[in-house]
Amino acid sequence: MLGIWPFTGAFADVGPVLDRGMSLALEEWGYKVIGRPIKYVKRDSETKADAATRRVEEAVETESVKYVIGPWSSGVALAVSEVAKRRKVLHFFSGGTEDISGKRCHRYSFQWAAHAYTAADTVMKTFLRENPGAKRWYLLIADYAFGWSLEKYLKLVGEKYGVTVLGADRHPLGEREFSGYVSKAVSARPDVVAMVNFGQDAIQAVRTFYNFGWQPKQPLIMAWSAGVEELVQLEPEMRENVWVGTNFYYTLDTPVAREFVKRYREKYGEPPGYAPAAAYGMTRLVLRGIEKAKSAEVPDVIQALEGWEGEDLLGKMRIDPKTHQTLRPYFFLKCKKKSDMKDQWDFADIIGTGDTPQPAELNECADIGSL
Amino acid sequence: MDNLATTVAIQFFNGLVIGMIYALIGIGLTLILGLLDIPNFAHGALYALGAYLLLQLVGVTGSFWLGMLVAPVIVFTVSVILERFMIRPLYPAGSNYVLLFTFAVSVIVQELIIILWGPVGFSILPPQALAGSVDLGPFSYPRYHLFVMIASLAVILGLWLMLERTRYGAIMRAGIENKTMVSALGIDIYRLFTVGFGLGASLAALAGVLIAPIRGLMPYMGVDILPFAFVVVAVGGLGNVIGAIAAGLIIGVTQSLTTQFWPQGSTITIFGVMAIILLTRPQGLFGAR
Repeated sequence: MLGIWPFTGAFADVGPVLDRGMSLALEEWGYKVIGRPIKYVKRDSETKADAATRRVEEAVETESVKYVIGPWSSGVALAVSEVAKRRKVLHFFSGGTEDISGKRCHRYSFQWAAHAYTAADTVMKTFLRENPGAKRWYLLIADYAFGWSLEKYLKLVGEKYGVTVLGADRHPLGEREFSGYVSKAVSARPDVVAMVNFGQDAIQAVRTFYNFGWQPKQPLIMAWSAGVEELVQLEPEMRENVWVGTNFYYTLDTPVAREFVKRYREKYGEPPGYAPAAAYGMTRLVLRGIEKAKSAEVPDVIQALEGWEGEDLLGKMRIDPKTHQTLRPYFFLKCKKKSDMKDQWDFADIIGTGDTPQPAELNECADIGSL
Repeated sequence: MDNLATTVAIQFFNGLVIGMIYALIGIGLTLILGLLDIPNFAHGALYALGAYLLLQLVGVTGSFWLGMLVAPVIVFTVSVILERFMIRPLYPAGSNYVLLFTFAVSVIVQELIIILWGPVGFSILPPQALAGSVDLGPFSYPRYHLFVMIASLAVILGLWLMLERTRYGAIMRAGIENKTMVSALGIDIYRLFTVGFGLGASLAALAGVLIAPIRGLMPYMGVDILPFAFVVVAVGGLGNVIGAIAAGLIIGVTQSLTTQFWPQGSTITIFGVMAIILLTRPQGLFGAR
């Protein structure tokens, strides 16, 4: 099994924790499944499509890798997905681009993260429930696959909820200088600013909004966040009145999640965020797929996963056989004021979940293809 | 129209703030380039080191002001020792070796930062006295950002006065123009290099300190800023201090204003400007060759 993680590049801070998540899942299984040993191969995606695809090819070639989990960047994932299709290896990815279960779908790749539609719907629906008057939104989007998907659905879902999008600015991935974007968003005088960005970009943007006095007076949404990994790099003052949409938060109350969080905290001294949870979750699903198929052959596992339904890390989960999208809940959090925090990790509470799937007519996966 | 004017004004201020930081880093880099004839690839790392030392000092003493004053001094000391005992012996071997060495320093410092402070980033709040915004009439602006503008300006002015009005400054300027002649006049040119290197490094560290509450800290912050530092030096003219100041401000303001009208192009535009200037006027805007 290959974990293609970013150990260098724009998402370098996520690589090590992704590794932790996958290792933890493999440890639980004792590095064995259906009586056979599992070899965990790690490679650096460098957050770059060319480097990642090269390394995946090499791993498939020289290490006989059959299951590829990762990478982290949506842009890189689309490239890796092509390699998986060509090499006929199973590819499980968690990220914001809808193309994996949409336009670029194929039999060998699977999407673990909530669909961008589900995320956008959960974010908007829950935020409006708590702030009914906030109908004027301004968007700040990271300019690549992940950003585009969520931007599209925030606008679409906005129509459903009577929200006006005053403006949407795209910033390059890896941007550090957000003063310009912040000034522009602030002068439009929206009721709320919603950001679709990740990692250091998101952290820097939150910091800049705070410096310009946006929060805590006005709300800021991080629509698709790593949760713990990003929030820990901010000061509590910067997090006040920040609302976070995420694929996983460590206070989630399912049997698998509780166990996972407990073991992760014992081993690493800090709670897991979306990244290690995704790596853990995906690895678990692949292993469960192998168990169900009673075979380690890729086509058998793929067929076992299609239509799979069960209780796992996030509660009730199902893999749609037509699109290979995992149907599961998405979470919305509200960050706590410094005075309300019980300990240094008590960043937020889950205040809502949503699992509305993408409407079938919007899905662009015409034909998932053959094996 | 009024709203657009206000927005542009804010962006202009943003540009001045980041431009001042670029200028500080650029001056340091251009001084070292002019005096020692080497592009200091460790410059970004020294900037990062300044920021991290600030973090540490604030953590230990609780005082931002103390950290702000002491961090550049520590970096000055460290870089003076570095130059005197590790770079100086490499001069006879040629500038390529010195260049490689500074590159090695940048990697070592970056990894040391990761070892000492971890790979995960930090935020740092501006000191209480500088928190919040100031009402400038048509708009409010963060107090700390204004402080960065004023403090950088003060440092740059002080530096300019030193270079233009003091004997040592004159020697330094002469050293940039003609090392051999300065040496022939009996001045210890190697001591000049050491001081020049230390000065340049401490300016980078000061830039890191000032920008920390604005940009936060991350081990790769040095790598992030280095290309911009070189753009400033190239546009301003190698070894030209006034050029570095002007170029820093131009680059900063360009970046900010482009964000307003063409967000995706803000970084490309800077490098585009540099490319055009290097093609049409390779000595930089203020260079004299």
